[in-house]
Amino acid sequence: MVTLTINGVETAVERGSTILEAAQFLGFPIPTLCHMEGLSPYGACRLCVVEIGNGSRTQLVTSCTYPVVEGMTVRTASVRVVRTRRMIVELLLASCPQSKTIQDIASALDVRQQRFRQEHDDCILCGRCVRMCAEQMAAGAIGFRSRGSHRSIGTPFDVPSVKCRLCGGCMYVCPACELRCTYTEPDKAICGGCANLAPPCVSKPRFDDMMCFLRPCVACEIKPD
Amino acid sequence: MERLRSIDEFHGLCERLRIDRGGDGLPTIVIPAGTCGQASGANDLIRIAKRTVLERGLGDRVRLRITGCHGYCQAEPSVLVEPQRTFYPRLASDSMARIVEAVVENRVLEDLLFVDPATGRRVERQDDVPFFAHQRRRLIARNEGVDPIRIFNAVERGGYTAFVRLLESGKPEDVIDALRQAGLRGRGGAGFPTWRKWTMLAEQPAGRGKFLVCNADEGDPGAYMDRSLLEGNPHSILEGMLIGAFTTRATEGVVYVRAEYPLAIKHLTIALRQARELGLLGADILGTGFDFDVSLVRGAGAFVCGEETALIASVEGRMGEPRQRPPFPVQRGIDSRPTVINNVETWANVPVIVGDTAPSDAREGSDRDRGTKIFSLVGKIANTGLVEVPIGTPIADIVYGIGGGSSSGKRIKAVQTGGPSGGCIPASRFDLPIDYDSLKQAGSIMGSGGMIVMDVDTCMVDVAKYFMNFLRDESCGKCFTCRKGTQRMHEILEDIGEGRGTLEQIDLLEELAEVVRDTSMCGLGQSAANPVLSTLRYFRDEYRRHVVNHRCDAFVCSRLVGAPCQTACPLGTEAWRYVAHIARGEVDEAYRVIRETNPFPSVCARACDHPCEERCRAGTSGGTAVAIRALKRFVTDRADPAAHHPARRSWPNGDPPRVAVIGAGPAGLTAAHRLSLAGCRVTVFEADAAPGGMLFCAIPSYRLPREVVKREIDALLDDNIEMCCSTALGRDITVDGLFGSGYGAVLLAMGAHKSRPLALPGEDAPGVFPSIEFLKSFNIRGEQLAKGRVAVIGGGNSAIDAARTAMRQRDVESVTILYRRTRHEMPAFQEEIDAAIEEGIALETLVAPTQIGTTNGVFSHLECVRNTLGDPDASGRRSPVPIPGSEFRLELDTLIVAISEDSGVDAITPARGGRIEITDHNTVMIDRETMETSRYGVFAAGDVTTGPNTIVQAIAAGRRAAEMIELFLLGEPLEKPATATLPRVYVEPPPSLDVEAAPGERVETPRASVAWRRRNFAEVEVTLSPDEARREAGRCLRCDLEFTRPAERELAKVGG
Repeated sequence: MVTLTINGVETAVERGSTILEAAQFLGFPIPTLCHMEGLSPYGACRLCVVEIGNGSRTQLVTSCTYPVVEGMTVRTASVRVVRTRRMIVELLLASCPQSKTIQDIASALDVRQQRFRQEHDDCILCGRCVRMCAEQMAAGAIGFRSRGSHRSIGTPFDVPSVKCRLCGGCMYVCPACELRCTYTEPDKAICGGCANLAPPCVSKPRFDDMMCFLRPCVACEIKPD
Repeated sequence: MERLRSIDEFHGLCERLRIDRGGDGLPTIVIPAGTCGQASGANDLIRIAKRTVLERGLGDRVRLRITGCHGYCQAEPSVLVEPQRTFYPRLASDSMARIVEAVVENRVLEDLLFVDPATGRRVERQDDVPFFAHQRRRLIARNEGVDPIRIFNAVERGGYTAFVRLLESGKPEDVIDALRQAGLRGRGGAGFPTWRKWTMLAEQPAGRGKFLVCNADEGDPGAYMDRSLLEGNPHSILEGMLIGAFTTRATEGVVYVRAEYPLAIKHLTIALRQARELGLLGADILGTGFDFDVSLVRGAGAFVCGEETALIASVEGRMGEPRQRPPFPVQRGIDSRPTVINNVETWANVPVIVGDTAPSDAREGSDRDRGTKIFSLVGKIANTGLVEVPIGTPIADIVYGIGGGSSSGKRIKAVQTGGPSGGCIPASRFDLPIDYDSLKQAGSIMGSGGMIVMDVDTCMVDVAKYFMNFLRDESCGKCFTCRKGTQRMHEILEDIGEGRGTLEQIDLLEELAEVVRDTSMCGLGQSAANPVLSTLRYFRDEYRRHVVNHRCDAFVCSRLVGAPCQTACPLGTEAWRYVAHIARGEVDEAYRVIRETNPFPSVCARACDHPCEERCRAGTSGGTAVAIRALKRFVTDRADPAAHHPARRSWPNGDPPRVAVIGAGPAGLTAAHRLSLAGCRVTVFEADAAPGGMLFCAIPSYRLPREVVKREIDALLDDNIEMCCSTALGRDITVDGLFGSGYGAVLLAMGAHKSRPLALPGEDAPGVFPSIEFLKSFNIRGEQLAKGRVAVIGGGNSAIDAARTAMRQRDVESVTILYRRTRHEMPAFQEEIDAAIEEGIALETLVAPTQIGTTNGVFSHLECVRNTLGDPDASGRRSPVPIPGSEFRLELDTLIVAISEDSGVDAITPARGGRIEITDHNTVMIDRETMETSRYGVFAAGDVTTGPNTIVQAIAAGRRAAEMIELFLLGEPLEKPATATLPRVYVEPPPSLDVEAAPGERVETPRASVAWRRRNFAEVEVTLSPDEARREAGRCLRCDLEFTRPAERELAKVGG
């Protein structure tokens, strides 16, 4: 067992745990995007950063990948952490504003504006779909291509995949497309928002060919009876 | 070659090689042929050298050695002759045969030697050349002695000896001790102590084996130290790795080299093959049972693969992406096995340190860090190349001592260290020692050793944008904050550079940079903030200038510069536009364009210092600037100023206000003119008998004829303007009195008419004259005060004016100008200095007066001392320092003091009870944006606020003051939003230019002959002919068309 202090609370967890697991065990909320129970930790979204260390030599690390160390001090919501998280959320909103998951995280952190040029990407490259396909579905049909601002997710050389079994797992785990808010008239019972879905990573000839696990959009939930 | 089977056989080989080499006394011609050498022509030299030796049968009289880079890349292709150490730089290939002959005959070719630019003298030995003399070349010097593709050469020079000695009788602990003593820190940039890293690897369990990696990815733009070590001495790296394997019990080695280094790959491949053949690499080395082999892995063009964990991923065949640390590579590296990664230069240092038997007090470097570091010194530096110095050397020593200072002649502004992960150090901090910690504290990093020198023509916003562009492209993209952060930071920098930035964006940039730094997984992202944060720290005012004033003072950001001639002009005159009209033969149109901004075009056409020409793009890259001023003269000589009728407005509400302008110089008259056009009633008060200010009383008529000034002024005066000459502030009128008489605003524009004294006793003796008074006495009253042997002290325009005026006076025998620095530093216009020398005026530089001597109370001689240029001060300019014992005396009859002028603020200071503040430099203090003084309703413009300045600056100040006074009288806020002055009007290029007239040399402005000039004051410069003017105007590169041509505009709308 490893002893560590989180937010002033001393606790002991199994060796090999991550800081995120320890914090969740104690009930401290840490926002995440690329992390998912059942998938290996990746550390791409940087939202889960926490502050470790003491005095002037503190460091921000991603709690989902950082292993617990005997005697470490962790702060999950220090001023520096919150300030950093808010900037990350601004960047997320600047890229992918229509994702309800990202909007919810923004609301929780009280971020109401983003100060960058607005883009409308469908993908935040968190890699959940890649890991889902490889680790849970044992297919590995999609992966990352290219580097930097050209980085994207898809099949090798965009050739339609023979490995893909059309399970829909990639869409199921996607935080950007799982709750898409593309409609603004809640009194319309059928908004058809999910039909506008166009996952960028997998190219299938017809929407019908994909198994869709989208949760009901808020529009449907608040329709008047 | 035969494989060595034992350590004894190795020693035997070394002996044989030493015997072979020593004692034959033959000279050797060494030709550096690294990538830079080959690119500049070394291959031709090699070919010719070999052919010459073969054809003349000189194979037994001279040796030839082809090596890697020696470091003085600026001087390549070059040749070094051993053992004499003769150095021949920058050779043309046809010199090579001569050199071979000379070497054989033991001669030195004087005409091919290096010339020291500071002394002008030739230097024979390489070690005396300043670039080399101030270095400490422990690693690079070895490149001179080794042919990289001949392993016997390397062995003969000591290669592998340290390793073999270790095999024989050494212990791993000895190596660790030696490294710790030497204080070797990782040369890749992070600076981790090497001994500690190796100790950690040694402690790892043997398991499935351990790896040693040489990181030869060297991705920083502008850094090529590792390349030169790999190309020039690959065996030193292999030996280092063998020593490392011995110390840490590593079993396999990998050299990860970037694919963009083909010569390094070639030499490494050859070295590996030869080492294996000889038995120094592989299984059972020298029969000792020690196994170690090295494989070569090529990078695929990703900067991020220089990062440890990304490099490991790349070696494993995966995408180059970093991973979370801990665990660190030394615990889990390639294939999850313990791995140590060190930089090329670190490995190259190892055999030197381990084989170093010198006592410890002979160690290099400062206390904290030891050893030497190789820097690639590039950018606006005279001596570009690879420089090896002890760690802790001050930056100034490298930039000025070794680098030779600026290559452009302009002031050096900053140095960028550490590549895209590093930051800028401004010139004011060049006393900083180059070591890991002090650079970090200053906001930069040591990095791999790139050092980019920047001068005043470098825009720091553009530099940050350049590096951010690089990092954005090279980011692997895994971390959201690094990927998006570099992209967004680049976006913001682009906005700022194109004039769309806001002050909030500068703050956002800083905030974002800090988040990227704190949250990125690997060093790329963590240091991506450095270029931005360090330029913000030291050059924030440049960012502000871009955002608030829409100006790029370095003239780099093209969306803010527009046409450089227009932007450089303080008036914003559309020089490109009137030159375009001249090319089309439309002289009247050209005149109208000039008059839009400049009420004194004939004056400026003769006496302006033409900042437009200094920035003309035709003058870059070895070309010559368009003769804009001469073209303006061509236009103004043909147009009658009175024929131009500028638009007049009437005052919008109530009675037109009255404005008092004090001083009828260019600033005052420009203001009066513009206020009159706005509908005000202006009274101009002038202390002298006629208007014109310095135009009339100081600038001599051979430069600016009286009639031209008078005609131009007359054209500006109209019914709204009343001139009151011989009326002086303080004596005849006061500011209080003016307000009392009903004036709504007062503009002070009295100029700077008081010569500054030398402050030497005897300055008031007869025969000594302050220059302004000397000039005024002649220009206004016709008195010829100069007699006999005349000396003028000073280097500015008024000194030249005084000298050329004196030269024309009746009783003058000779005129000498004395200046305390060199000609290069003289502030006077270059063409004025040229004209003075043409007219027979002597120029003595590096001379300063010490005493004024009189005989019978009359000036008779001047004691002087000679100067030398001393060390650069904080601005980078060298200050004059008197040379003791160099005093001398000049027998003279007239002395004119022309060192500077002061503003005429005496009239205001008695009114200190009045509220107009004076600065420490005796100028009137104003708010630069609103032109207001500290007293309500009183404005000031021109030399009275700045000290002596140019005519066009005074006109611009007068114009701005008029705009502000108009707003003031209307009761509106004194604001003028800044915009970039971009060309907006399309002037079609002429249908066909003379095809045979190649856009070659700049036209020569015709001048009167020297003999004719000597004794009269008639104008010296003559106008161009219409043909000359058209041809010169045709040389214009039309920088405006990018912004105005209809096709371009359409493209811009579509976003193309």
